[in-house]
Amino acid sequence: MNLPKLNKNQIQKLALSVMGFVVLLYVYFTFFLGPLNKSRSVTMAAIEDRQRKVDSSKSELAKATNLERKAKDATARFAALKALSPEGAPIAWFPPRMKIFFANQQIDRAVARLESNTGFKQSELAAWIKYNWLIELPQADFASLGKAIAELENTEPLLMVTKLSIHTLPDSPQFQQIGIAASTVIEKR
Amino acid sequence: MALQLNLLHEEILEQRQRQRDPLKIGMLVLASCGAILFLYYAWNAYQTLEIKGRLSRIDRDWKKIEPQVTAAQKRSAELTNMINTTRVLDGYIENRFFWAPFLEKLSRCVAPNAQLTSIEGAVLEEDKGVVVTVEGVAAAREARAAAEDLRQMLIEQLSQSYHDVKVEFKTLEDLDTVANVGGVNMAMARYVLAVHFNPGPEIAKPVPSPTNRRSKQKDESS
Repeated sequence: MNLPKLNKNQIQKLALSVMGFVVLLYVYFTFFLGPLNKSRSVTMAAIEDRQRKVDSSKSELAKATNLERKAKDATARFAALKALSPEGAPIAWFPPRMKIFFANQQIDRAVARLESNTGFKQSELAAWIKYNWLIELPQADFASLGKAIAELENTEPLLMVTKLSIHTLPDSPQFQQIGIAASTVIEKR
Repeated sequence: MALQLNLLHEEILEQRQRQRDPLKIGMLVLASCGAILFLYYAWNAYQTLEIKGRLSRIDRDWKKIEPQVTAAQKRSAELTNMINTTRVLDGYIENRFFWAPFLEKLSRCVAPNAQLTSIEGAVLEEDKGVVVTVEGVAAAREARAAAEDLRQMLIEQLSQSYHDVKVEFKTLEDLDTVANVGGVNMAMARYVLAVHFNPGPEIAKPVPSPTNRRSKQKDESS
């Protein structure tokens, strides 16, 4: 190719143009196209994130509906277990309840005392407390006691007799003195 | 051939030189490159704007769903917690030891010539079973034999419902006093029985696998 011969002035201008072009490219990619692409990739990531959330939310809603249907029995059972313990401090209602219960079983003068209360280690029972009681029956015959304990164990599902002591009374051997250590599971109020 | 004189030669040369001016050509190339870059940028900007529009649409949808999802998640956690609690409570209820059937069995074992004076029972923690101490007196020609009968009867009766039943005498001693049973004077013995049993489901003992047996045989032979 027959290139025209350039003079010094023209070579200087050409070099300046090339430099200007390089600067233009740098400015273009660094300050215009770069931030634009960055913003676009950030937006795309945000879209993916939202889309994932929307997709998972649909399954979450379906799961909740399904769980609600499945948990019908558990909900009723849970409500029934909660209803076993009335409102208020257990020390206020448990001793009178025991007194009335044993009186109905022909065993008078039943006294219930709170020994201690402890929380559970299981995380599922974090909202429940175990109360340990000592129930004293100063005088009862063996047959009535057996029936009363059977009734107590059947009507109070959250009560467990942990210790039982029966001693005959020296003066009247047909009667026994009874001590029952029982623990009850009661929801925190 | 006629001689031709081009008097505009210098002017034409100058015009050609102007047209081939590298600075001018460079400027043209630069301008066209700039135009291409600008178009490319505009295209990218348009795409970005479109993507942002899509994001704002998804955001709007998400904002509509979000409260429902949060409520559903909360309810799910609540229900799961409730199901787990109910399951643990049911386990607690089912694993209770019932004293009434035990007392019934105990009362069935006591013969007319035996008397219980004290019963002390406790449920051991961590499913280790139940321990009961039974204290009483027996009256018979062979008072110790009557006490032994009670022990045997207890083992028999309790084994029907519980496993790992152990009934052992802690004390068995003859008393100096005599009891009148049916108009006959009988010797008396005092006893203390230690009863231990496990009310929970029986855990099957592991049967050694054939490979273990073989290795044991090898060990024995070596």
